[in-house]
Amino acid sequence: MQNGVVITGFGCLTASGVDAAATWEAVLSGESGIREAATWDSSGWPWPLAGEIKDYSPRDLVSDRKLLKFITRQDVIGLNAVTQAVTHSGIIEHRDELADPTSFNDRTGVFVGSPATKHRYQHDFLPPLADSAGDSREFGVRAMEDVHPMWLLRTLPNNVLAYVGIQYGFKGANANITAHGVSGSQAIAEACRYLRDGAIDQAIVVGYDSASELEALPYYASVGLLSSRGLRPFDRSRDGTVLGEGAGALVLETQDAAERRGAKIYGGVLGSSVVAEAAGVLSVREGGEGVSRAIRLALEDSEMRPDEIGMISAHANGSRVSDAGEAQAFTEIFGASSIPVTGFKWSLAHTIAASGAIESILALLCLANGRVPGIANLEELSPECRGVSVSASEQKPRSSVGIVVSRAFAGLNSCIVLSSHV
Amino acid sequence: MVTPLGNDVESTWNAILSGESGVREIAGFDATGFPTRIAAEVKGLRAEGTIEDRKSLKYVTPFSLFALAAAEEAVRDAGVRPTTATAERWGLVSGSGMMTTEFDFLQRFQREFAADGQIDLARLGAEGARFISSPEFARHQAVAGQALLHKRYDIRGYSANLHTACASGGQALGLAMRVVRSGQADFVLAGGYDTMINPIGLAGFCLLGAISTDNDRPSSASRPFDLTRNGFVLGEGAGFMVLEDWKRARDRGAKIYAELAGEGNSLSSYRITDSPPSGDGPIQAIRGALADAGETFDSIDYLNAHGTSTPMNDLSETNAIKAVFGDRAYDLAVSSTKSQMGHLIAAAGAVEGIICALAIQHSTAPMTANLRTPDEACDLDYVSEGCRPMQIDAALSNSFGFGGSNSCLVFRSPQRAEDRGR
Repeated sequence: MQNGVVITGFGCLTASGVDAAATWEAVLSGESGIREAATWDSSGWPWPLAGEIKDYSPRDLVSDRKLLKFITRQDVIGLNAVTQAVTHSGIIEHRDELADPTSFNDRTGVFVGSPATKHRYQHDFLPPLADSAGDSREFGVRAMEDVHPMWLLRTLPNNVLAYVGIQYGFKGANANITAHGVSGSQAIAEACRYLRDGAIDQAIVVGYDSASELEALPYYASVGLLSSRGLRPFDRSRDGTVLGEGAGALVLETQDAAERRGAKIYGGVLGSSVVAEAAGVLSVREGGEGVSRAIRLALEDSEMRPDEIGMISAHANGSRVSDAGEAQAFTEIFGASSIPVTGFKWSLAHTIAASGAIESILALLCLANGRVPGIANLEELSPECRGVSVSASEQKPRSSVGIVVSRAFAGLNSCIVLSSHV
Repeated sequence: MVTPLGNDVESTWNAILSGESGVREIAGFDATGFPTRIAAEVKGLRAEGTIEDRKSLKYVTPFSLFALAAAEEAVRDAGVRPTTATAERWGLVSGSGMMTTEFDFLQRFQREFAADGQIDLARLGAEGARFISSPEFARHQAVAGQALLHKRYDIRGYSANLHTACASGGQALGLAMRVVRSGQADFVLAGGYDTMINPIGLAGFCLLGAISTDNDRPSSASRPFDLTRNGFVLGEGAGFMVLEDWKRARDRGAKIYAELAGEGNSLSSYRITDSPPSGDGPIQAIRGALADAGETFDSIDYLNAHGTSTPMNDLSETNAIKAVFGDRAYDLAVSSTKSQMGHLIAAAGAVEGIICALAIQHSTAPMTANLRTPDEACDLDYVSEGCRPMQIDAALSNSFGFGGSNSCLVFRSPQRAEDRGR
């Protein structure tokens, strides 16, 4: 295989399922994890929908109970996905049999797609603000008394990166990507870069987020991005996205490293891209130019022709402009072809920094199982999205190679090319 | 660059030479209620006059202003900027800070929705979307600075936004170097920007006890490697550089400051706030950088240390240098410019990378100011007597972050790069 990066483990935690298998089953059977937000009282809210983790219990999700004092909800979700992927890969058992585990650790990287900061972190400062009534000096005094000494460390945007390292002892190259909706995909892309460059032999990749936090809903709604009715990709009636929580993690290795240890190989990452549209902070350009360019560059990087692609996992976030732009990009590159196109956010909601990683895992499952789940709530294909093979019912991939498209604020677009056969 | 010592490269470098300190009593807000009341603030930089595009002003926060000002200086100095024909071949890699919500927004939020310190959920649901403006929502995004830079220069190629705390800037330059090497972009605008000098950032560090409380003697509060060092001093600012392929730069007759020749990137996997006393973690980063550049420890003349002035960092870093350089460690000029400009957090690695390039250009090693009481455990040549005229053919820049991410970069003089067959 060209460039040789293979996938030897994966795991996820989403609104639709507690692991990859459960999430896959939910998507296949048309189930959605989107409900009215339940982590706070959202009754009476004009846009109450969210894709929250069900029955969230940090003690069940992270085994190190002491650690729970130093991390937040989104970190718990991210670390749980990593544990699943690492367990799935068997690399720890492999390492523990090595004569030189130190060198294995030094050559194991950690690449993370992180949501960066959260509004909710600042809520710890609301009581001292209220008590100091606008007096800055008084605020300082009260903040020192009221706020937990570890506050800053609990809110670090690179906590998952740090604790994956500490938990497993990995010490290789690392990056913490804070690029909104492409973070998860880009974490995969940058891990591949360091693997290809020979700086590391294996990498843990994770994208995580709890995007549906309290303040995010009204603020996303304020700029017209949220739907109050549901996330309906490519549908004539689509009117916005729904935010959610989740994490997806993968273990990537050079093909050499994986074969040397006799690992089970689930697939490979053939290529990737990240490009900017330079459209501003919140806007996407109409027409999907950025998406087309991202796909072309990723195909070039993986030495694939458009006709070799067997399925597309679209960003499909339910936005009028973004979905239409994606559809245009797909028809431009692949023609009015019958390449099955699907998306997963209708079921999982938009998990922003996690989405690219979770959707890469689901795309891999599509390719491996020869099944492309439908977009279950698709009723009437939007005229703006004509020519794209999306369906409410299941389709079959045309080959073992698929692409995953992700988009983000700052006009960012990313494409990952995956194969289930290496 | 924009630093506490000056709002451009020339004034910052001159202040380094003349031994000035950028640390003062905090002027940006009333900090008298906090245990620490000093910081190294940027002085006198105004958005009006720095930002030509008036529409963009609404989207600018203090720290994205630093980024825009530093990037403008870099692009002008490079004598090249994206055109319609080259926009897709330009990339952007930035290391950006973690605090994106403005303090006055939090204050307004508290008055509006949490009068008694507890959030009124019904009111937030009913009024939240009207409370925030669209530019305000945009400003709070982690990608806001990245988006503004893309838009301002119409950079349409590769893009990445990273956050590994104090290693962010160094890791950004390292990743940018790899992007140029791989041919993914012809030019990359790369750097870091940050400020945490606001009531919440200061509270966070004070609660942790990580910053110096020497309020009565601000100019000597940051004293890396000194026996009496007692924490770092918060700084703020931005550093950006234009990176391009060596041959392309030569062919267009560019003024070449230095070659960014290698990157070492590792994870300490020890504690969130420290590397271990042995230097494990930083050691792999320094070795990795030397190997990546094809250099050995014999060829390095100057090392710009992470040197934060915390008891543990300076010891761990010293021991890492000793582990890599052996007896040669005592012949190496090591200094921490944080002694004069404080700790620029996510911007530190980028600014200090530029300082390495300037040190090469001006044949001068910056000093470690305020080192008056030697620490037996930190016994290297820290250039404590003042800036030292010396030929520098190869320099290292260390950056180590909260969370354990480490970055080490190798810079070579243009002459040495030519001699090595560039």
